Amino acid sequence: MRALRLRPKGAPSIPVEAEAISPDIVAGKALPEIEKLVVHVGNTTRPLGDFFDVEGEVAELAAEQLIIVEGGIPWAKYIGASMTGGRIIVEGDAGMHAGSQMSGGEITVEGSASDWAGAEMRGGLLRIGGDAGDLLGAAYRGSSEGMTGGCIIVEGRAGLETGSFMRRGMVVVLGDVGPFAGAHMNGGEIFVFGRAARRLGAEMRGNGGVIVCLGEVEALLPTFVYDATYRPTFMKLYLRELRDALGVREAGKFIDSAFRRYRGDAAVGGDGEILIAERQGGPG
Amino acid sequence: MSFTVNGVEIEDTFAEAFSMWGSRIIITAKNRKWADTAASTMTGYATSVIMCDCEAGVERPVPEDETPDGRPGVSVMVFGFSRARLEEPLLKRMGQCILTCPTTAVFNGLPEEEADAMLDIGKSARFFGDGHQVKMRMGDGWLERRRFWRIPVMEGEFLIEERFGAKRAVAGGNFLVLGATEDAALEASERAIDAIHAVPGVITPFPGGLCRSGSKVGSRYAFLRASTNTPFCPSIRHTFPDSLVPEGVNSVIEIVINGLDFDSVKAAMAAGVTAAVEVEGVRKITAVNFGGKLGKFQIYLKECVGGA
Repeated sequence: MRALRLRPKGAPSIPVEAEAISPDIVAGKALPEIEKLVVHVGNTTRPLGDFFDVEGEVAELAAEQLIIVEGGIPWAKYIGASMTGGRIIVEGDAGMHAGSQMSGGEITVEGSASDWAGAEMRGGLLRIGGDAGDLLGAAYRGSSEGMTGGCIIVEGRAGLETGSFMRRGMVVVLGDVGPFAGAHMNGGEIFVFGRAARRLGAEMRGNGGVIVCLGEVEALLPTFVYDATYRPTFMKLYLRELRDALGVREAGKFIDSAFRRYRGDAAVGGDGEILIAERQGGPG
Repeated sequence: MSFTVNGVEIEDTFAEAFSMWGSRIIITAKNRKWADTAASTMTGYATSVIMCDCEAGVERPVPEDETPDGRPGVSVMVFGFSRARLEEPLLKRMGQCILTCPTTAVFNGLPEEEADAMLDIGKSARFFGDGHQVKMRMGDGWLERRRFWRIPVMEGEFLIEERFGAKRAVAGGNFLVLGATEDAALEASERAIDAIHAVPGVITPFPGGLCRSGSKVGSRYAFLRASTNTPFCPSIRHTFPDSLVPEGVNSVIEIVINGLDFDSVKAAMAAGVTAAVEVEGVRKITAVNFGGKLGKFQIYLKECVGGA
């Protein structure tokens, strides 16, 4: 891959909408062209070069383009939004909407990412080394589908409505998740290794959607019904994938665990599943 | 015409093999006992399409670190004369022999890029769940995309991959081990089977890999389409006028090999013959063919093992 380096010049007082920080947009352009790419700042537009020093190499194809942001840019929104390939590494925090609607490639945020990270993601891999804000991988308001593919892995905690309206894909949170994780979920998988807050899976529909709790569960909605405690083979596949493909070593500890299976949300006639690792205890 | 390998006469002839459709599946279970049980049940009564619905056999045990779920596994291969005649026995056998077997799961062992077709076996088997089956998705948009079905069963849950690869394969690779005694023929054949099973991509569908009753096409009875291979029956050497059993040979065993491709079958024949001729008391190795009139593939023993 060819590496393009963006060095932040400082933190602006208002957020910058920087969809231009995407392999799809910079690939095939000369460095001066990249410096002139437009970013939105309030009700004005400015060149990208006003906010970053740009150097490095540019690939012809997005899939071969690596963008390294040297430092945190929590003020920059939409990093890698809608990207289809290539890779972005943010050596610090990222602003809202990082990786939203991306369909391929990989984004690594070494720090934390703000709200709406990976919203309506369709493919690719989004790694967040710190915490994620609210609405991780969620659907934008008015939309009926959140994530439809791809994988988000958060090493810290995630906020409200993680994976809401999820249809496909996978969200893995190694820390805690806030209330309403998996709300309106209709497919896809959410793995929570930390504490899952209340309203888990509210109005979850089903369609193979599953929330796996490997840590404590604050409370389950009464509209989720306990079925059985068992060791489903399919869980071994997921946990091995987490361990081997995503490097989540913690997952390996649960491969032989028994899980308590709850089905719901009966409030909407859903047949989604919440599986709670037996050895970690159940809902409080 | 013949040549020798390790002092054993090898007839300069060929095995006539046929085109069939083949598939590979991986059965896993809680432990080796149940994986083997499912595999042996699945491959039962599947020696030859002369009378069976398919030909099937165990390719190899699959260690835990190679199976999708990390449990002990067995690689099984199934062959049928057409895609449809492979798909039907696969579905039936998976339904009756694997689904029913405690703790098992079954996965595709022939990736799409190596297959000529993908069979919707799991997609059909899912109906056993009577509406309670759950589709399991993996890798959407970020890793290899795979689909499975989770079917609730009394014991727990059965997991089956949605699609299984199938390809045009080669069946009927063969050779005959002609021994001075029954013991010599059997020992040589057993050694041949051990060597053959070190070759990937092949099975030997007969009991223990060996066929003691090779057949010829047709019989003197109108209702019987195959009958004992009279030219190679030592006990009627002097009553059957066209016997091919040499003096000094008192037992003949046939080894039949099916494989996913020509090269695998040829390599397996080579390994088998090479192992067999090491056993004292083996008098001759030959192969069965129909003069090249029936099968698409001709596998010459000389090309397999060379010889002096």
